[in-house]
Amino acid sequence: MSEIKKIHDLLTSKQISCKELTEKYLKSIESDNGELNAYVNVTADEAFAQAEKVDAKLSKGEDIGLLEGVPMTVKDNISTKGVETTCCSKILTGYKPIYNATVWEKLENDGAVMLGKANMDEFAMGSSCETSYFGGATNPFNTKHCAGGSSGGVASAVGGNIAAYGLGSDTGGSIRQPASFCGMVGLKPTYGAVSRYGLIAYASSLDQIGPIAKTVEDVSIIYDAISDYDPKDSTSQGRQGGMTFDKVNNDIKGMKIGIAREYLEGVRDDVKEAVLNAVKVYESLGAEVIYFDMPALKFALPVYYIIACAEASSNLGRYDGIRYGFKTEHYNGTHDMMCRTRSEGFGAEVKRRILLGTYVLSAGYYDAYYKKAQNLRGTIVKAFDDAFTKCDFILAPTVPMTAFEMGHAVSDPIETYLTDICTVPVNIAGLPAVSVPCGFNDKGMPIGMQLIGNKFSEATILNAANAYEKAAPENFKETKWGVKL
Amino acid sequence: MVTREDVENIAILSKLFVAEDELDDLTKQMQEIVEFADAINNAPDSGEEFDNINNLSNVFREDVVVESLPSEEILKNAPEQAEDHFLVRNHN
Amino acid sequence: MKYELVGGFETHVELSTNTKIFCGCTTKFGGEPNTHCCPVCIGLPGTLPKLNRQVVRYAIMAGLATNCEIAEVAKMDRKNYCYPDLPKAYQISEYDKPLCEHGYIELSNGRKIRILRIHIEEDAGKLVHAHGDTYVDYNRGGVPLIEIVTEPDFRSTDEAREYVEKLQQIMRAIGVSDCRMQEGSMRCDVNISVRPEGSDKLGTRTEIKNMNSINNIVKAMEYEFERQVDVIESGGKVIQETLRYDDATNTTSSMRGKEDANDYRYFRDPDLVTILTSREEVEEIRKTLPELPEAKKQRYIEDYDIPEKDAALLTKYRKVSEYFDEAVDGLKNPKTVSNFIIGSIFRRVETEKDKEAFDVTVSPKQLKELVKLIEDKKIQNNLAKKTLEKMLDTGKSCMEFIDESDLGGVDDSAIEQMCKNAIDGNPNAVADYKGGKEKALMSLLGNVMKQSRGKADAQAVRAKLIELING
Repeated sequence: MSEIKKIHDLLTSKQISCKELTEKYLKSIESDNGELNAYVNVTADEAFAQAEKVDAKLSKGEDIGLLEGVPMTVKDNISTKGVETTCCSKILTGYKPIYNATVWEKLENDGAVMLGKANMDEFAMGSSCETSYFGGATNPFNTKHCAGGSSGGVASAVGGNIAAYGLGSDTGGSIRQPASFCGMVGLKPTYGAVSRYGLIAYASSLDQIGPIAKTVEDVSIIYDAISDYDPKDSTSQGRQGGMTFDKVNNDIKGMKIGIAREYLEGVRDDVKEAVLNAVKVYESLGAEVIYFDMPALKFALPVYYIIACAEASSNLGRYDGIRYGFKTEHYNGTHDMMCRTRSEGFGAEVKRRILLGTYVLSAGYYDAYYKKAQNLRGTIVKAFDDAFTKCDFILAPTVPMTAFEMGHAVSDPIETYLTDICTVPVNIAGLPAVSVPCGFNDKGMPIGMQLIGNKFSEATILNAANAYEKAAPENFKETKWGVKL
Repeated sequence: MVTREDVENIAILSKLFVAEDELDDLTKQMQEIVEFADAINNAPDSGEEFDNINNLSNVFREDVVVESLPSEEILKNAPEQAEDHFLVRNHN
Repeated sequence: MKYELVGGFETHVELSTNTKIFCGCTTKFGGEPNTHCCPVCIGLPGTLPKLNRQVVRYAIMAGLATNCEIAEVAKMDRKNYCYPDLPKAYQISEYDKPLCEHGYIELSNGRKIRILRIHIEEDAGKLVHAHGDTYVDYNRGGVPLIEIVTEPDFRSTDEAREYVEKLQQIMRAIGVSDCRMQEGSMRCDVNISVRPEGSDKLGTRTEIKNMNSINNIVKAMEYEFERQVDVIESGGKVIQETLRYDDATNTTSSMRGKEDANDYRYFRDPDLVTILTSREEVEEIRKTLPELPEAKKQRYIEDYDIPEKDAALLTKYRKVSEYFDEAVDGLKNPKTVSNFIIGSIFRRVETEKDKEAFDVTVSPKQLKELVKLIEDKKIQNNLAKKTLEKMLDTGKSCMEFIDESDLGGVDDSAIEQMCKNAIDGNPNAVADYKGGKEKALMSLLGNVMKQSRGKADAQAVRAKLIELING
């Protein structure tokens, strides 16, 4: 059952007050966050202030919205006014935004209770959450393993029951990959469906904010709440075609599922087996499965890294020690101050990506790398367009493997890049995709699959994901951590 | 082929210092990453130019003044400030 | 050997929009430091730009007024460089798809200065250097600019001066900028090279920045021309570099080399979408353009018979020509209005800035009223001139200073009678005139004017006197 609805029922039936509920979560954070490291900043005062408002409404007998009073977390790259927002980088330590990201503005108005800011890879650059200045979040299924990245803190907090849901961001898989690693549901919306205003940019043409929660219904409720046209974001279009929540329980009989063979290449056997089992579940539900090739996907990973790093090198130029954040102590002249601030403030992975991005944009290399990558981006977009003439959605593994052990990802950057192979095409083409748990490996670590839809077809993929969740509930498991409702 | 000079040059453009003893290692890493990126050179050129992901155009704001923030707000996060300005001391 | 100057201009013009290019902050000049700012224009992490519609419209107007083609598809790019006045570490500009291209401005010698492109971009903040430290004010950051780039078509400083003046006049006439060089709302960078006269090869060029008046531009170009000729004559080579002009010493000097190489790594700004301009929109905007100064000047010369020099003065400032147009409306003799403006009013509105504002106590309507009295032969030119001075002093209308008795003019029979009186009373003068002393007529004329208390038309009196004397 939907975690959000469960809490909503507890609150409206007055079995628990919002303040008590908030206290419960904060206590669990106190006891469990030491090991999960999901939160980098706990905002108890703000949470209680919001809870009081909700309780006041409840005591007056007023109706509350589904998200009102539900404790949640926000990834640390989403600007929250007056609350430190660091992107888990030394360079933004102490930075308290003077404005709210549009998504948080919306949820705060809807009465969401933010318990704190969630851990992430520094500037969302990483696949294990371990490039975080504050150390990586761990996996609630086994804390010797990482939570995944970059939205590792959100996935860890939700999986660890120290938040009912959370907002993450996905540039190349940063919502879906940690959701998959932590056995959660994570939605990367269509580019433009959710406002990016206030999301601290990694790669502007790829970034999207989306929810991580326990169930498909939860994800649908949150998506409906945050997807809206925002005049502050020139690329914003909002949700198209009404609420998804009233469509998630539709029948999926006759739905056409596409499987691109490229997605199954190089995928570990246990993952492949779990995904193919899910295909069988879908067939049993009356869906039709179609196999095809998408050769353009072979180039998706380098295309992604070239575009993402190019944009990042420009987006991260502003951290210079003048207007906000960290500033070096000893220097000689403005130029020296900027270089020292940046060299001391950014971690190794961020520096690597800035350098790569600068390289692919610099004179003499622009055509061979950036321009060519943009051109191939067009090719990949077209390949998906063609695919969606044949099927309603594409089913693929989310990650070719399960959660790595802590420390593994840091040792080999390029090998880690390769783990993004299944997630990046969606960002390149601006498509929606939802990652859903579809099994466990022999060590008990969760396996995820993603349902990739055509632009603005969130309702379709959430409907299909929900049908699977109902048919295979055994893949949605609780962990030992956190609040027991 | 990424050279030490390439890395030094892009480090300058990126406003990052690379210590002499890090340079060889970083050059090697960059070479590996660039080799990985070179995979796209084998891709057929579609000749299609990519515009923007949702092919949007003419998204404008009307020319109507919105009140600015007080300078205290603007300067709130400044590591150093003086006389309502962001301050960059020449030495520290 | 004789050398020829080859010059090109890159001119930044601040647009007179109400708000900045990507946010709703005001573009007003000045203001307390960092008070015209918001999260967007100080580049706080996570903020996004939203393009001001009026900026695009103004840029298209500027393009049309300078004979440019307007791009059907334009886009915004990021120009990446780090400097404390640039809060995002990139300037949003247009690189390979500017809004306007391939225009020209024609000079009075008939040469066309080709305009390569006009693109829109954002201004940077302001740095104040004091006791070795740097103070940053972002009020100006994000103010919309157009950059107007010419081909290297200039061959003399006279052409440069005329180009800058014409550009100012055009931009002011269409209302897209006040083009005040002193306040920095118009800034020129000039590229200069020299070559032997007759050669068609371009020499190595230098770029001069930091000139805040037309006079300085001309002086800097002259200095730089001489300097480059000296370098070449003495067997040296001109180095391609960026120079700063120093007003006080009238010299150019190399600007401190920027710490980074000039590689701006332009790429499309993913936060902004494509700008499409339909041909219908272009024509719609073209229709709204006011008459341009050059066309106005020609009209004054041809339709009003105003001397070219005066027509140029009237059309140099938008407000002056607007004032003139309003005052002459319905009058038979626009030349009188022109003479009054240039002769009397300009004496009180002396500076460039005052002429630009042209805030005159006498309204165009009041001036028209005065000139109408002359046209109707109700008062004399001289009296009108004196009256105008009083009007300018007080801002009151002409009727406040003209007695009933001054009015009504003098009819032809009265003039004849007065002339007869003068002839009869001054036989000596008549004899002198008849003896060939032309000047003698003046005393007779004076006499008649005295009789009419200055109301008679001197031309008519003169003619009548001659007629009567010659019988």
